[in-house]
Amino acid sequence: MSDDSAPARPATADDGGILQKPMDRRGALGFLAGGLAAGASAISACSPLNAATPKEREIRLLEWEEFTQKHYRRMTEAERAETIERLERLAKLRDNEDVTIDTTDAQPGVLFGYAFNISKCQGFRSCVEACINENNLDRHADTQYIRIFEMEDGVVDLDSADPTYQHDVPAEGHFYLGTQCFQCANPPCVPVCPVGATWQEPDGIVVIDYDWCVGCRACMAACPYWARRFNWDAPEVPPEEVNPNQHYLGNRARHKGCVEKCTFCIHRTRKGRLPACVEACPTGARVFGNLLDPNSEIRWILANKHLFRLKEELATEPRFWYFSD
Amino acid sequence: MNRAMRGAVICVSVIAPVMGCREGHQVRWDQPPPGVPLVQVDSATAARNAALEPGVLSTVQATPVLRWKGPDQRPFEVALRSAAPEAGHSRTFGTITLPIALRTRGAGISQYPCTSCHQGKKVVMANQRIADAHNNIRPVHPAQTGAVCSTCHLADNVELLTLMSGEHATLDEGYRLCAQCHFRQVESWAAGAHGKRLDGWQGRRVVMACADCHDPHSPAIQARIPFRAPQLERTRGYGP
Repeated sequence: MSDDSAPARPATADDGGILQKPMDRRGALGFLAGGLAAGASAISACSPLNAATPKEREIRLLEWEEFTQKHYRRMTEAERAETIERLERLAKLRDNEDVTIDTTDAQPGVLFGYAFNISKCQGFRSCVEACINENNLDRHADTQYIRIFEMEDGVVDLDSADPTYQHDVPAEGHFYLGTQCFQCANPPCVPVCPVGATWQEPDGIVVIDYDWCVGCRACMAACPYWARRFNWDAPEVPPEEVNPNQHYLGNRARHKGCVEKCTFCIHRTRKGRLPACVEACPTGARVFGNLLDPNSEIRWILANKHLFRLKEELATEPRFWYFSD
Repeated sequence: MNRAMRGAVICVSVIAPVMGCREGHQVRWDQPPPGVPLVQVDSATAARNAALEPGVLSTVQATPVLRWKGPDQRPFEVALRSAAPEAGHSRTFGTITLPIALRTRGAGISQYPCTSCHQGKKVVMANQRIADAHNNIRPVHPAQTGAVCSTCHLADNVELLTLMSGEHATLDEGYRLCAQCHFRQVESWAAGAHGKRLDGWQGRRVVMACADCHDPHSPAIQARIPFRAPQLERTRGYGP
């Protein structure tokens, strides 16, 4: 990793003179693209030179740059900043959205944990609504990270439970159990990724580099909790509903053919805020906190309440506990 | 319990001037409990209330509840929601204009301050007038527990709550009243397993008070239609 963090190589005379020009990366790519287009008419349909307007030309140039983008974990600080600038500019050009994409790293000494009170949840799905709005989920496919299962009293059985209920809740003789990505300590979705596009961050959040994901969906098959979602088509979010407060590993714009999932609202929680689902819950059934802080609420719950986790026999070690009063 | 029976119980418990609570105390809503000194709203509370900006969230340090002192004595604060500026500036009620650009718990209390009507005097209300003045109250909880107004409200100063110990609590300290019976819930609440934390998981711990979520007179959360269901087809389990 030492050479990954080295600053970008300074331009020298060995670079054939191109890098000695006062030209940034974007300009250099445009230069190369122009040369390619002039030399090979076969790709002229994709060439930025054929764009109808200067705006389209810029969009195509920026899209070209994605092909040279590194894996998020291999980027230097400068490359990260450049990537963020490009993504923000693309959002502005494509949909006239003023988004802020941040790359805040995990705080030291923080390991996120989540507790869900099955005695309190009434099945209102306010969390689902907040999640959709917060994380810019695809409105067309109606993607939802959170799933609330309506279960009959006395048994936890996901197969007989109903996540599609639509009637006045709470229903007599039932309780409600919500699932989402559990950010497992031993996540089965991570080692199966053939390209390393998903990994676990130091604060426990399992994240995806959407631009590195090849869409093979192996992680979806590996997850025993059905936590991951696939973009079968380009996600659609009305520009006026886009949440501009974004994170590179979280709720930024996804593209067709990549996998996404809950990140405990990484753009909020890394800045000390609560996930949107916790904030939205009208019954206080959701508790979020730092597992490494002995004074946190979640630690009190782990020490004092009756707990269980889903499919514990799989040894995935979810950082998501269910408890009852 | 069917509707008619419940209605009857509500009528009896609210209208009847004399009732026994579960512990056998005789409680009259038109008289203070025996042996309890009269207390005015203390000047510190009044000053704090006056300093609150409408629409701004402010907090008060939680004080230990009656029977229970909290795990590890961890400090936390209880959120006080003052009214949003657009929540209305005044409301005409009969011949009295009630200012409801509210303080502290005001956003949830439609006729605060109580002195707009009660004016610091003994509550003089004929039975019918209780129903008129407080027709927004659905006294489900008093009916269930056999309580009357003065079981919880201090008759001589309705801006205070009265505890079983004889102590008085401000409306901001409503959790001390709830804690008399719901001590397990208040224990969980103070520790963070019940209720809601505001402002984030990090830093100052600010929690919502009991009455921010539970209507004290009808505390159960009401059933309603949920947000739309996911579009799922049944496969093996409910896969993505």
